[in-house]
Formats: sequence, structure tokens, C-alpha cells
Amino acid sequence: MQSYEYYAPRSLPDALEYLAAKAGDCRIIAGGTDLIPALRKGDIHPACLLNILEIAAAGGISETEETVRIGATATFNDLADSGLIRKEFPLLAEMALSVGGPQTRNRGTIGGNIASAAPASDGLPVLMSLDAELELSSRRGNRSLPLAEAIAKAWTPAWAADEMITAIKINKLPPGTRTKFYKLARRKALARSRMTISLILRRNPEGVIEDLRFVPGSVMPVARRMREIEKLLSGKVPTDELLDQSVRAVGEEMVKVTGIRWSTRYKKPVLGNLFRIVLRQLITAG
Amino acid sequence: MRAVRKVVMAEDQVKTVLKMIVNGDPVEVAVDPTWTLLRVIREELILTGTKEGCGIGDCGACTVLLDGKPVNSCLVLALQAEGKEVRTIEGLGTEENLDPLQESFIEYGAVQCGFCTPGMLISARALLDKNPHPTTEEIKLAISGNLCRCTGYVKIIQAIQKAAQPGQ
Repeated sequence: MQSYEYYAPRSLPDALEYLAAKAGDCRIIAGGTDLIPALRKGDIHPACLLNILEIAAAGGISETEETVRIGATATFNDLADSGLIRKEFPLLAEMALSVGGPQTRNRGTIGGNIASAAPASDGLPVLMSLDAELELSSRRGNRSLPLAEAIAKAWTPAWAADEMITAIKINKLPPGTRTKFYKLARRKALARSRMTISLILRRNPEGVIEDLRFVPGSVMPVARRMREIEKLLSGKVPTDELLDQSVRAVGEEMVKVTGIRWSTRYKKPVLGNLFRIVLRQLITAG
Repeated sequence: MRAVRKVVMAEDQVKTVLKMIVNGDPVEVAVDPTWTLLRVIREELILTGTKEGCGIGDCGACTVLLDGKPVNSCLVLALQAEGKEVRTIEGLGTEENLDPLQESFIEYGAVQCGFCTPGMLISARALLDKNPHPTTEEIKLAISGNLCRCTGYVKIIQAIQKAAQPGQ
């Protein structure tokens, strides 16, 4: 492995100063679960490595009356164990518990998962469904960026080289909202997602869908809400006929984005059917 | 034997002195910034109980406790352990005084080739420290990051259940 300069500041200003000075030659390391294998393989050769795990301002999980702030260096186990996350965004806790294994969940961070921008990321689809916003910091100042605008294409964040994610902000969901994350993978642990479903649902007392948010994961280069499907079902009671229709529509929407790939024969029907299964679970849940 | 170990920097290599606590003892070792914690544990501290199975965090053979939490030491840069507490399998009981988990692994035949065993024991120890009476599902979750190619896991799970009984 080619050597690099290593810096582990405790203060955010020191980190931002370093990022600004190194002008794009610098990689940020947090849990290292993606970065260290990449360094070992020789996929990347940074001149500098900035360890942000010691920066208190980039960590923690806290709430205000209307929002939850998740520090960039919150690990998957921090999310899975957090009473606040389990209460406000159950699907986020479900996702966190499904990633990797216990050891990698103690190191891998939500900020790192976002910044890696992998098509098979589990964090991105869930956060997209929650309309999360990133808090980005640099020596030039702070700014908010909706996550939906933050990933240019697969593996490619849209923010500048001198910026780092310090937190993820999510608005709390209205009462009566149900959420679910489902992961399809070859094994129950230590497995990359083959396909995921992130679903948020709220219905009125008559059973009419008031809010539906659906993000499929591991089926597109960059995860995004399937607004066409959401529109198809919003304002309606989810009958069997409507769900049948949506199963077909989900597959077709996926292909519109991806084109026909080698995996389409498998993913097209499975994505639609999984969507229906998970939606039905949310509809019938107690 | 757990002595404080100091390694003198070779003049032609750019190294940083890493200070951490390993199995309760303060340690100072000169490291290259590219070294992982696993490499330092095995090759600088000569604590070879921790194994390298895959080097990319997919098998758990390199599991150690870092500030009490089980981590893959192949995925921790040595310098990231600065100032932290590391516990390896050598820190889990002694030859004269085995950890209850080690006793039950032997009793239940939960060791065949032994390569996964240090990592399994560390993950199990972390579980019982946090949750002294786990269910079978909780045990399975706790060792879900540790692969074993020999035993089929059943005896490992039984051994951990035995060690978790009251009075053990």
C-alpha cells in the first residue's frame, strides 16, 4: 500500500482547514470499512488521509421538536441501538441492523455510506425515502443540501472536495405514519443487498393513502423515490386490483431508469412483487 | 507476559509512535500509517492469537475489542487506535485461569481447527458483557460476523449458552 500523510484532528475547524489546504488530494476516513479494502487493493492512492472519528461535532444523534440530527460519524450500531431512531424512523433502525455484521456495524458510519455512494448502499435508499438533508461544512462555511441532489451518479458525490458531511437532518414523520425496510440478500448477515425496499405509508381513518414514499435499493445507479408509483397509489384505497397494477408499474419504472440489463429478468418481477408484499405488511400491521 | 513494548524507529522509515492500551497494559509502538491494527497486534506486539482470515472484514477471524466493542482489526488503521483500549484473545483468561467461555468451548467441542475460535470468543465475550442471559437468536446475531468452516456453529452456540447460565 502506498503511504500517505495521516491526520486525526479533534476539532472540526482543524479538519476543514486541512481539507482546504490539501485541495482534493485528501480522502476522509471514518469507519474505514469501504476505504481500507480499497486502499489494500490499490484502487485509490490518496496523498493524505483525514480521520474524522475523533471530531465530536461530527457525531451523536439528537432531536429538536421537529427534526432529528444524525452525526456523520454515527455508526450503524449507533443507529440500530438508538431509542430515538427506533421510535421516529423504524425503517432506519431496521436498515442499520441489516448491514454487514456486528463488527462492521461498530465501525461503518452513515456518513461514509452516503459518501461512498455505492449503488448497493442500504443507507441511501432509506434516507432518500425520509427526504433527508445533508449538513455540509467547509472552511467556506456550512450549507444544507437535500440528499436527493447530493449524489451526481453512482460512486460520485455532488459536493466539493473541500466539504465534508457533518450531519444528516430528517424531519420527524406525522403521527400514524408507518415505515418498513426490507432487504433481499443471499445471506442473513455479511451480505450485500440484492434488492431493498424502503417504504413509508400513512393512511387516513377510511384507509385512503395520504402519504406514500417508496425507494427501491440496489436496482438503480442512484436510489431515488419512485414518484410515479407514489402518485399511482396516493389518494386511493389500496385494493388488490390497484396493487396488481402497481406491481407491473414498479418493474416498468425500474427499467425506464436502468434499461434492460442482465439482471432485469430477475429484478423486474421480483421488485414489483416485493413492493406489494411489503406494502401489504404495512397496510395490515396492527 | 505483558510487558510495555517500545520499538525504536528505523531512521529511513517515516513512522509515528502509537500509544494504546493492550490487554490492560500501556503499549508504545512505531507504526507506518498504512498498517492496520491487525498487523500491529500480530507482527509488532507478537500477539498471534488474533488471525487474518480475509483481510477485508468479511470473516471475523481478526475480531478484537476496541474500547469494549467487537471490531474487525483488519479494518482499523493502527493509528486510529491511538489512546484506545484493545483487548485480544490473549487478554481473555489465562492458561491457569480460563474464561468461562473458553471452558465451555472445550467442554462442548466447539473448536475444530481453531482458526475462527479467537474471534468467536471475543464476539461471545462482548455479548455476555452486555447481555449476560442472551436468547439463542441473540447469540446467533452476536456471532453473525464470525465465519466458521468446520463446526457448523451448533456447538459454538451451545457453548455460549452454557457459559451464559447463572453460576457460570
